[in-house]
Amino acid sequence: MSRIDLTVEVCGLAGDGTIAAGGLINEAMSLGNYFVLGFDSYPAEIRGFGRCVTRSRIGDDEILALDDETHVLISLDDEQSISRVPYLAHDAVIIFDNKPPGYVEEARSLVAHLEAGARLYGIPLTDLATAAAGTPRGKNLTALGAFAGVYGASPELFRYVITKKFEPKGEKVLTANLKSFDAGYEYALAQFADHLVPTFYSSVEGIREDKVMLSGNLAIGFAALDADLKLYFGYPITPATPIMEFLAKKLPSQGGKVVQMEDEISSIAAVLGANHAGARAMTATSGPGFALMTELIGLGVMAEIPAVILNAQRGGPSTGLPTKTEQSDLHSAVYGGTGDSPRIVIAPTTVAECYTYTLKSFQYAEKYQTPVVVLTDFYLDNRVENVPKPIASPEDTERWNIAPDPAGKGSYLRFENTASGISPRSYPGQEGFNFTASGLEHTETGSPDYTPNIHMKMTAKRYRKIQSALTDLPRPEVFYDEDHLAVGVVGWGSSFGSILEAVKRAREKGLSVAALKVTSIYPYHAEEIRSFMVKCEDVLFPELNFSGQLANLMGHLSSRTPYRINEVTGVPLSPRMIFANIKKIIEAGTR
Amino acid sequence: MKTPGPQLAHQVEDIRERNTFEPRSQSLPTWCPGCGYFGILHAVNNALKQLKKPLHETMIVSGIGCAGRYPFFTNTYGLHAVHGRALPTATGVQMANPDLTVLAIGGDGDGLAIGGAHFPHSIRRDVNINYLLFDNSIYGLTKGQPSPSSPVGTRSKASPYGTVDQPLNATLMALTFGCGFIARLFAGDPTGITQALLQGIRHEGFSFFHILTTCVTFDKSYKTWANLKESVHPLPDTYDPTDYRRSFDEVLTNDFSTGIIFRRPGNGEQAR
Repeated sequence: MSRIDLTVEVCGLAGDGTIAAGGLINEAMSLGNYFVLGFDSYPAEIRGFGRCVTRSRIGDDEILALDDETHVLISLDDEQSISRVPYLAHDAVIIFDNKPPGYVEEARSLVAHLEAGARLYGIPLTDLATAAAGTPRGKNLTALGAFAGVYGASPELFRYVITKKFEPKGEKVLTANLKSFDAGYEYALAQFADHLVPTFYSSVEGIREDKVMLSGNLAIGFAALDADLKLYFGYPITPATPIMEFLAKKLPSQGGKVVQMEDEISSIAAVLGANHAGARAMTATSGPGFALMTELIGLGVMAEIPAVILNAQRGGPSTGLPTKTEQSDLHSAVYGGTGDSPRIVIAPTTVAECYTYTLKSFQYAEKYQTPVVVLTDFYLDNRVENVPKPIASPEDTERWNIAPDPAGKGSYLRFENTASGISPRSYPGQEGFNFTASGLEHTETGSPDYTPNIHMKMTAKRYRKIQSALTDLPRPEVFYDEDHLAVGVVGWGSSFGSILEAVKRAREKGLSVAALKVTSIYPYHAEEIRSFMVKCEDVLFPELNFSGQLANLMGHLSSRTPYRINEVTGVPLSPRMIFANIKKIIEAGTR
Repeated sequence: MKTPGPQLAHQVEDIRERNTFEPRSQSLPTWCPGCGYFGILHAVNNALKQLKKPLHETMIVSGIGCAGRYPFFTNTYGLHAVHGRALPTATGVQMANPDLTVLAIGGDGDGLAIGGAHFPHSIRRDVNINYLLFDNSIYGLTKGQPSPSSPVGTRSKASPYGTVDQPLNATLMALTFGCGFIARLFAGDPTGITQALLQGIRHEGFSFFHILTTCVTFDKSYKTWANLKESVHPLPDTYDPTDYRRSFDEVLTNDFSTGIIFRRPGNGEQAR
């Protein structure tokens, strides 16, 4: 099996052009028709001189997660790159500047820290870039040129993406960058002719633009546009801000508006007001902002108002770890707020799903007249994947609001206690269907009422309504289903990719394992989840939170106490670590 | 306060003629007898009638408190939202459907304490909403705690030794924040409220109606009917509400003058 599966890192100091170089690798390899998943990490400090690292996993098969090992390290700064040594494969290829501008004492050089198996490709990056373009600024592109040369990737792909990126900055900048790239490419071919590792040979077939590089955040933004979003209300917060910035640019041209509010409370209040008046509106936030929103989410539940709320999770509690990933707002999303307040919570697992489920959420919200929380996280929001250009089908953009029967004019029951729990909804401005909605418990007309029967009946109605949404919500999906399984691994959100990769590896080793993806977190398809779990000797819930929040919610469906993996390291779950746990559970045998 | 029979009959006849009861809903107000809010309700209904605004094209968004109950007592569309959040909720409503006449209603606790942050920012956004602040300087629904507009020394169960915090002046705040239409009004003068609403609702942008009112149940000393009637007086005929600096002088020297305090000149012409 000649599978291509290469993880490439670019590491440098802020200002070295590290993130740009990583982005260009992603774009170029995507155009070469490879699968790409990229994830960057950079300092939270605005002008910090911190370490920047991009990781790109490139393959000829679907990429599910970041790999545990790095095969290629492109170093733009020795001192910063030393920190990456523990993550390198034993025979990793190192592309580095062997004549850096400043003196690096030997003990502090990258080379001194590498393992014996590392394959060194020392290149005078700074000198080459300076000679080619008159400035060392293009040394990141010189390094890319070397990478393309060593790995046999078509330089045309890189020239294409470099042109796309630098053309807007003028002829001079573009030429300098192209020359810097070429210098690295030619140098690598000439100097390492006997040590080339031609891997991306198929990339010379031409440029394929049927896929686009998208981050989770951008996918969400495109979905909002395609959902015919009219109003976005929000407040800046990492990692959700890019959604607001994207929409601020794009929404006006389709007749919508972005309003930066004074806080997250006013953001969700305005979203509810706008949806109540019949416009599609949304907000995006992260844990701290979501916590502020929970009271108004309760109003959305009680007054039965649609809303789409994106919670891009980060490490918590409190301000927590603003630039690190975590899945610890599941309880907050499902239960946050006052009283018994059922709402829909949905968690995409890939960039493509970020698009699909953000788009669908507007319909869920509209039909079931409820806040819908879309749960993503830092890793999913910021990672890029090349996905087929997302296009909304006509059925995805249909309006799902159930309007009242015109015959009922004058005797309208806004909160009619129907069998499904869904009460036909009018919009302010519609004659003959006036009503007052409230956060107070109310009768079918909307009039406040605290009598025991009413509260019991209306609470049941609201739960019934949310449960009835299960027919529309995405069903749990089993990967590698069998009649009997040793271990069933249940996952959600961004970490499902790591889970699936671990399960795949386990199966390649002959282990009886399957994975269950749960996308609809609340309400959830209890019977389907249970029927998967009964087939498994053991069930394992790997999650990026300390308390095991999905396991807490659904673990009771398993007849045996589930195993858990709970990590709060700020980084995505490692497929290798999950695989090791699966193996350990199987080796332990029956309990 | 008893109204003599013949006078009452005349008033009822007047109400019937103008059909100002039409916006009233089936639900009778739950406010205490003698509450200032009855006058405001009457004045708003009167203004809506005179503006010939169809009830289904009017949306009343309220916060929590005695004033928050307002939308239940009219036949317009209503949204009784969350404590302090009438303004941002109304902002969403108005932006979603600019054809609606949007009133935001709340008390002094709702608007100056818990919802205080939304007041300047709603004014900054200048969305076309009409904000009616019912200011009786007390938390009535929770039975008489001091509010942000209570004077220093207010004694209550929650402040048995008297309050020490300085009161907020909502009219001065609105003026400072740059509000384009500001009226200070008195619940005991429904006609004055109606007149101001007729102008303010037509004003394109954020309009602020600071309505001085009473809590007959829990306030026996400050904003009582008797005290208000004694203190409240109309702005002088010579007063020019388009003179921004002069408005400050008025508001800084006088807490109880009523009428249009400030009106941005030439407003209504520029659409947002």
